[in-house]
Amino acid sequence: MTDATFSSRAITKRPIDWWRWSGRVFLVFLLLFTVLPMVWMVLTSIKTQFAAMQYPPQWWPAEPTLQNYARLLDPSNSVGQEFLRYFWNSFYVALTTTVIGVVVAVPAAYAFSRFRFPGRTFLFFSVLLRNMFPAVVFLMPLFLLMRWLGLVNTHGSLILTYLTFGLPLSIWLLKGFYDNIPIQLEQAARIDGATRFQAFILIVMPLSSPGIIATSIFSFIGAWNEYVYAYTFLSKQESMTLPVGIQRFFTEFATDWPGLMAATFLMSVPVVVLFLVLQKYFVRALTEGAVKN
Amino acid sequence: MTKIDGRDATAFRLQRRELVAYSIAALMSTTMVFTATTASYAQSIDLSKWSPEYVKSIAGTEEFDTAAECAKVTPLDYKGKLSYWWTGPNDASPDIERKINDDFWAAWKATYPNIETDAQNIDYNVLLDKLRTALLGNAGPMVLRLQILGGIEFSSKGYFQPLKPEDVGYASADFWPGALKSDTYEGVLYGIPTNNETMAFIWNAKIFNDAGLDGEHPPATWDEVVKDSKIIHDKLGIAGYGMVAKQNAGNTPFRFMPQMWAYGGGTLDESTDAPTYETVMLNSAGAKAALQASYDMYVRDKSVPVSALTNTQNENQQPFIAGQLAMMIAHPSEYAKMKDLASKATGADKAVADAVVENMRYGLIPEGPARRAVVFGGSNMHFIKNEYVDGGFDAGAAKAFACFWNSPEWSTKLAWTGSNPGNLRGFKTKWMKERLDTIKFLDVTTSMLPNGIPFPVVPYATEIMNHIVPDMLQNALTEKMTVDEAAEDAAKKVQDLMAGM
Amino acid sequence: MSTVTGQAAFAGDPAVSPRRAGLLRRIVNHRADYLYVLPAIVVMLVVIGYPIYYTIELSLFKTPPNLQMKDKIFVGLDNYVTILRSASFRDVTLNTLIWTAGSTLFAFLLGLGAALSLHREFMGRGVLRALLLIPYVVSAVAASYVWKWLYHSDFGVIGALAVQFQLSDRPINFLDNLHSVLPSLIVVNIWKEFSFAMIMLMAGLQTVPDQLLRAAQVDGANAWQRFWHVTFPHLKSVSMVTVLLLMVANFNSFIIPWIMTGGGPAGASDIWITQIYNLAFGRQRYGVASAYSVILFIVMMTLGYFYVRALTRGDEARAG
Repeated sequence: MTDATFSSRAITKRPIDWWRWSGRVFLVFLLLFTVLPMVWMVLTSIKTQFAAMQYPPQWWPAEPTLQNYARLLDPSNSVGQEFLRYFWNSFYVALTTTVIGVVVAVPAAYAFSRFRFPGRTFLFFSVLLRNMFPAVVFLMPLFLLMRWLGLVNTHGSLILTYLTFGLPLSIWLLKGFYDNIPIQLEQAARIDGATRFQAFILIVMPLSSPGIIATSIFSFIGAWNEYVYAYTFLSKQESMTLPVGIQRFFTEFATDWPGLMAATFLMSVPVVVLFLVLQKYFVRALTEGAVKN
Repeated sequence: MTKIDGRDATAFRLQRRELVAYSIAALMSTTMVFTATTASYAQSIDLSKWSPEYVKSIAGTEEFDTAAECAKVTPLDYKGKLSYWWTGPNDASPDIERKINDDFWAAWKATYPNIETDAQNIDYNVLLDKLRTALLGNAGPMVLRLQILGGIEFSSKGYFQPLKPEDVGYASADFWPGALKSDTYEGVLYGIPTNNETMAFIWNAKIFNDAGLDGEHPPATWDEVVKDSKIIHDKLGIAGYGMVAKQNAGNTPFRFMPQMWAYGGGTLDESTDAPTYETVMLNSAGAKAALQASYDMYVRDKSVPVSALTNTQNENQQPFIAGQLAMMIAHPSEYAKMKDLASKATGADKAVADAVVENMRYGLIPEGPARRAVVFGGSNMHFIKNEYVDGGFDAGAAKAFACFWNSPEWSTKLAWTGSNPGNLRGFKTKWMKERLDTIKFLDVTTSMLPNGIPFPVVPYATEIMNHIVPDMLQNALTEKMTVDEAAEDAAKKVQDLMAGM
Repeated sequence: MSTVTGQAAFAGDPAVSPRRAGLLRRIVNHRADYLYVLPAIVVMLVVIGYPIYYTIELSLFKTPPNLQMKDKIFVGLDNYVTILRSASFRDVTLNTLIWTAGSTLFAFLLGLGAALSLHREFMGRGVLRALLLIPYVVSAVAASYVWKWLYHSDFGVIGALAVQFQLSDRPINFLDNLHSVLPSLIVVNIWKEFSFAMIMLMAGLQTVPDQLLRAAQVDGANAWQRFWHVTFPHLKSVSMVTVLLLMVANFNSFIIPWIMTGGGPAGASDIWITQIYNLAFGRQRYGVASAYSVILFIVMMTLGYFYVRALTRGDEARAG
C-alpha cells in the first residue's frame, strides 16, 4: 500500500502524528464499546440464576457454571428440546429463503444488468423501494394475504415474506457483480455457438459466484434474525423461530437473565461464524453498488 | 383497624359475614338471568356457607365419573375434530402443572379416541393479539380459553357463540355467580368459567425481621405497605414492595387495582354492588389516594424496584427468591413456582433459595380505607362461531371437550396450583382434598375469593386495564404529570372512549 | 466504463436505437427479457402492492372495539385529522426525529472515525474490523436483551460501575426515566449499526487517489486540510447513500424500542413505529394506525426519492 509506506515516511519527518494517536485511542474506545457488552453477556451466561440477582454485581462469577448452556442444548429435557427445535426452524427458514432467493434474484439481476427493456429503471427502483417500508405497517395485510394463500402458521409464510425483503437487496447486489463481468466473455461464447442461456450458465454464473455467496450471506442473516413477522405469523410453538422462541422462553414467564444471555449467545453463534468465515464477501456485498470506482 | 394478629381466626370470621352478603347479592343478580335454565338443576354447593372450614368440610365427599357425565353430552365414540387455543403450562411453570397437563391430554385421548385434536398452548401476553389477528382472517380455533378480561371484547364483536353450562351438561348454579356475570354481555352468557382465581400476598419474613419489623405480621393496610417498604429499603438497601407498572401487560392491573379499590377508587363503578359501568371513577378521591401511595413508594421513598416501569410480575420472581425483594401480590402458582425454583437451585443458590422458601409467608392482601379487594380473575371457555373457525365448527367435538375440561375432576386438577375450579362441584372431589392438604397457600387465595371484584364487563375493558391504567401509573411515577393530572388524564381517556363507542 | 457500450449493443437489437423506437415496438422486441424479471416482479407486486392498497383503504375507516373489521365505518379523512391534531402526535414525532437524527448522526460519525483510523494498514487491522462488525450481524432481538440487562435499573452492570467509580451515588436509572430513556436506546442503536457506516466509508476511502493526498501534503496541507479538501469530497456520494440508508433503517426501527421499553415509560421512547404497532395491535385502532402508516409511507417515499437520486448518479453514468 503506497499510502501506508508514504505515511510511515511522514512520521519520521514530522513530530505530529497526533492524528494517528487519536485514531488509535478512538479505536480502543470503539473496541471497548463494541466488545464489553458481549463480554458481560458471556459472563452473565455462566452465572447461576441468583448470582445475577445481586447488587453490586459479581464482576467475575463466583461459581462459574455451564449449566445454562447444558440445559439449552440437552435434547433430553423439555427446555433443550424446544430450544433445539427453534434452532432447527430458524435454520430451515433461513436456508430455504436463501436458496429460493438466489434462484429468483439471479435471472432478475442479470436482466437488470444486461438488458435495456422499457420500464427497466422504474421496475428496478420500485423493487428497491421495498426496503423503505417497515415490517410493522405490513403485518395485518400480509397476515390476511398469507391466510388467503393458506400459509398461516407455516414456515412458508415466513419464507415468502423474507424473500420479498431480501430480494431487492439481492438483486441490487448481484446486478453490481454482473455489471463488472465483461460482456465480451459472453459474446465470445455466443460466437462459438452457445445460446444466450448457455452463455449465462457456463460463463456468467461461475464468474458471479462471489456475488451469489455475498447475497446468500445477507439473506441468511436477515432471515435468521427476523422477529416481527415471525412473531405475528406463527402461533404454533413447534414452528417458532429463535428470536420469537427465546422471548417466549425467558421473558413471558420468569426472567432468567443468565439463561436468556446463554440463549442469546447461542443464537448469535451461527451468524457470527458465518460472517467471520465469509467476511470478505460480506463486506463486498455491503459496499457494492454504493461505491463507484 | 383490626390488627392482623388475629388473622387466623378473627380475620376469617369477619370475612365470612361480608361474604354471605356478597354471595347473596351476586346470586340474586345472576338468578335473574338464569332462572329459566337453573330451574331443573339442584345447586350442589352452598355459597352462603362459604368459608375455609366449609371448603375443607366438603372436599372429598363425592365421587365423579367424568366419562359417564360427558357421554350424555356427546357419545364417547364420536368421530370429529377439535381445535383449541389456551394458555397452558410452560417451561417456567411448576413441574406438577406440566404433569397434570400431560395427564389431561392422555385422558382426553383415551375417552374420545376418535376426535382429532389440535391444541395450541399460547402465552398469556400474546394470546389476545394472536386471536384478534386470527379472527380477522377467519382463522380462529373452535374452542378457546381466554382470561376473563378479554372475553367481552370478542363477545361484543359477535365472534363467540352464546354458551352456558347447560349446553355441555352442567348447571349454571354450579358456577361462581360473579364468574358467570363477568362473561355475560347484554344479557347473554358467552362462556363457561373454567377457573376462578384470586391472588394473595406473599412476603419474606426474614427480611421483615432484619429490618426490625415483625416477620409474622405483614402490613395489614396499604398505608402500612408504604411505610414498611420504606423501612425495609432504608435499613437493608433492597426493594420493599414488588410494584409492577409496565405498559400493555396484564400483570399491572392485577397488582394495582386491588390497591385502587381498597382506597375506594376504581376505573368505572365496578367495585359497587350493582355496577352500571357508566360512571368514571379514575379521578375519584380514592383512585387518587391509591395513585399517591404508589407515587410515594416509587418516587418519594424509592423503596420499590426502579425497574417497575419495565417489569412484569415475572421480573419480581427472581429477586424475591434471591432474597432481594420483601413482599408482593402473588398468584398462587407463584408460590409453587418459588418452591420449584428452590428445589432446582444448585450450589450456593440452593442455600439462599431454601432460606427464602423457609421464610416465605402468605396472607391476605392488605386492606384500605374502603375495603379489602382483589381482582376476581380466571378464565372462560368460549366457542367461536362457525364462520370464523379455520376449517369449520364441530359442535359434537367442542361440547365433548368443554364437558371434559370443565368436569369436576379436570376443572379441579387443571387449576391445581394456580386457582380454583370453575365448576364448584370440583370442591367436593377427592382431588380438592389432596390440594388442600398439600398446598398451604390455597387457604388464603380461596379466602380471598369473596373479596374478588371482576374487571368492568365492557368491550373496552382491555384498553382501560392494559393501557389507560398503566399509562396513568407511568405518567405519575415518571413525574411527567402530577398525581392529580395523571388521574384526570386517565379519567378523560375513559370518558372519550365511552363517548366514541 | 468500457463495458457500457458493449452492454447496450449486446442487449438490444443494434439496429433499433431505443430513443427512436416506439414504446410498443420496444416492449415487443424485449418480450423475452421480461421473463427474467417476472418472478421477482410478481412476488413484489403481490406482497407490496396489496398491503399498500389495504393500508390506504383502511386509513379511511373507523374500527371501534365493539365492531368487527368487516363492519368498519367510513370516516373519510377523519383519522388523519385525529392524528395531526392529537397532542401525542407532536411528542411521538419529536421522539422519532430525535431517535432518527441522533442514531444516524452518531453512527455515521463513529463509522467515519473508525474508517479513517482503520484505513492505514497495521497489525490486527482485519481482526479489529471483524470484531467491530459483529454487532451489525447479530440480531436486534439479541442486542436488545443484552443491553436491557446492561441497563437494568436494579441489577445492571453499567449502573453498578458508575457507583463503583463514584460517578453516581445510586445506580443510574437508564430505562425507567423520562429523560434518559431515548438517549439510552440511541446508544444501543449506534452500537448495532455504526460499523455499517464504517464499512461503507472504508470502501469509499479506497477511491481517494493517493497521488492527490501526496500532492496536498507536498503543498503543506495539514492532516485536517487533507481530509477536508481531498478525502471528504471523494466520500460525498458514499456518505450520502450511507446516511440515507441509516435514516431509513432508523425510521423503520422497531425491535430495539419495542423489546427494551415498549415505548415507555409514559411514552418517552414512543416513536412512530411503536405507536403504530400499539394503535393497531394493542388498542385495535386499525384505522388510525393505517392513517399513521400512510403518513409514514409519504415520509419514506420522500427519503426514497433522495436515495434513488443518490444511487442513480452513479448508475446512470454507468448505464449510459
